[in-house]
Amino acid sequence: MGFLHLTPRLERRATPIALTLGGGRTLRLGAFEGEPVVLALFARAGAVAFSEETLGGLRAELRGLGAVLALISRDGIWCFRPDDELELLASADEISETELAAVFAGYGLMFPAGGGGPDRAVYVIDHEQRVQFERHAGPGGGLGDLLSALRSAGRALLAPPRDFALSRREVLISSLVAGFTLALLDGCAKTGTLPEASAAPVGAAETGAEVDVTLDVNGVRHRLRLEPRVTLLDALRERLALTGTKKGCDQGQCGTCTVLVNGRRINSCLTLAVMVEAEKIVTIEGLAQGERLHPMQQAFITEDALQCGYCTPGQIMSAVGLLRERRATSAAEIREHMSGNLCRCGAYPNIVAAIQRVGKEG
Amino acid sequence: MHPFQYVRVRESRGAVDAGRAAETSYLAGGTSILDLMKLGVERPNRIVDINALPYQKVEESAGGVAIGALARNSDVADHPLIKTRYPAISQALLSGASPQLRNMASMSGNLLQRTRCPYFREVASACNKRRPGSGCAAMDGYNRMHAILGTSASCIAVHPSDLCVALMALEASVHTERPAGARAIPIADFHRLPEDHPELETVLEPGEVITHITLPATPFFSRSRYVKVRDRASFAFALASAAVALDVAQGRVHAARVALGGVATKPWRSVETEQALVGEPATLATFERAAALSVAAAQTRKHNVFKVALLKSTLVRALSSVAEVT
Repeated sequence: MGFLHLTPRLERRATPIALTLGGGRTLRLGAFEGEPVVLALFARAGAVAFSEETLGGLRAELRGLGAVLALISRDGIWCFRPDDELELLASADEISETELAAVFAGYGLMFPAGGGGPDRAVYVIDHEQRVQFERHAGPGGGLGDLLSALRSAGRALLAPPRDFALSRREVLISSLVAGFTLALLDGCAKTGTLPEASAAPVGAAETGAEVDVTLDVNGVRHRLRLEPRVTLLDALRERLALTGTKKGCDQGQCGTCTVLVNGRRINSCLTLAVMVEAEKIVTIEGLAQGERLHPMQQAFITEDALQCGYCTPGQIMSAVGLLRERRATSAAEIREHMSGNLCRCGAYPNIVAAIQRVGKEG
Repeated sequence: MHPFQYVRVRESRGAVDAGRAAETSYLAGGTSILDLMKLGVERPNRIVDINALPYQKVEESAGGVAIGALARNSDVADHPLIKTRYPAISQALLSGASPQLRNMASMSGNLLQRTRCPYFREVASACNKRRPGSGCAAMDGYNRMHAILGTSASCIAVHPSDLCVALMALEASVHTERPAGARAIPIADFHRLPEDHPELETVLEPGEVITHITLPATPFFSRSRYVKVRDRASFAFALASAAVALDVAQGRVHAARVALGGVATKPWRSVETEQALVGEPATLATFERAAALSVAAAQTRKHNVFKVALLKSTLVRALSSVAEVT
């Protein structure tokens, strides 16, 4: 597997980890040998609120990635393999404080957290246990710096070294990991341990300067620092690794980028991320309740309302928006009010049937 | 997209001040300007986001209706006051763009939307509107979509708005705030003809912000209609369109308002047609005679000759449908 042995720019090997999990089991970094690991460390209690829901959105991205997420915190230790469920390896009361302290110390974190030192870190460790990327953050703000550093890391991972040609798969995987680490850190924001978005007007000091933006996507708040010209579509796909929302024409003409903002369907390609700060954004990843599909998703399957599937996320989001508008019931009305979503395969009859099915079922 | 500074304002004074600077553009729905910024046609150095301004409402005003500049197209189209008193406006809005775009696009943005001329949108082409003095690639290019009314030697680009055609027929006024204070601009005076300066599209000054649009309390505007003909069934710009309002009593036309779209360089009021209708019996023959006057001054190019006949038919259909004459 070609993951991350692309840039041996950091020769340092990851500090070994040995944590007793109870039941005679031990977590060792070596347990993941041969697999890349995204290691997230949180020294402060109450810092981790990664629900199944939060990670559910990332599952699709991690599938096929081959990376393992290992989350070590005072609240518990979790492991998430791409093709598995999130697994709680040990709960807070099962973890030895002494062992935890040793792990955190080995990764440069203060424990117990406090004194202004870093209390969380993200490491990307490749299949040979080399540290490919590391970043620490402290409680005293600095999230903006952290996020932009992480983005730099993402770019660095993406940039092919001169003597090394990246395969498409490696580029994909690298970008997914970079996006994933971002999402991980953004997950912290949900707990309120990070500063809230300022109510003051956003105003970049100079042309092209980056601004802080908080996006509420599928019920999770993400703090991002980005240029104002970044569209919502690109923020979702490139920064939050929510690639269910597709980029088609990028001109508002095909509808495949459709998402809901405050329950209304819009084209995310013609919306700047900064314009929807504090609005409630729902993407295709946010429709299902756990494993239970949204009725519209189920109806698209039942009615076979797709061929290649590229336009499908946009069709489904648009259809959900249409039902909320309560303006179309007949096939002709549905066609008219789905005119913003193109399907090059021509699956229109079945798309109309799927929408009618959900409309009838209420 | 060219990088820019982003500023968000919360009250109109701030918008006026922020908008006066050079190379500054306002941002409302974004559906038009962001598209053009991606194409490199628009390259503002500064974007003033006005979405937080309190101009979202549709409400009764002086017997008529006031529509906030930032009300979204879909909300205006669905508003009971608009649907009952000014149905042509609702129909025009619903005939434009897609549901997603209508949820985003603002009223003021619609007033200011720019042409869909492909030579304007493609930065390598000659275009007097985009780059004054560079020429017009449409004159002898593929000009099937182009204007037959209000053209000049420097520009034949069509004004793309459906809404503005209905606003023109229903005699709307555009209200603004500017450095020198507030003013109201009749919609007929709002857009400019291209003449020698197609780059100047409206009479707005730098830092002038549209606050709302008013519609007069004219009872027969409840009998208004917008008819649009396009290349596909939905989600396409007009080849020809007509917004009409008729006051018909005892089979005779007492008053008429007629505006045309998809065929002109600005939303086009056809006073000749209106005059030919007033006092005449509301019959198909009257409508056909009056509609013929709307294209008397038409100037066609190689590929858009068909628009003359199409416009006449579209107008006749709009008139007969609002008068319920077949």
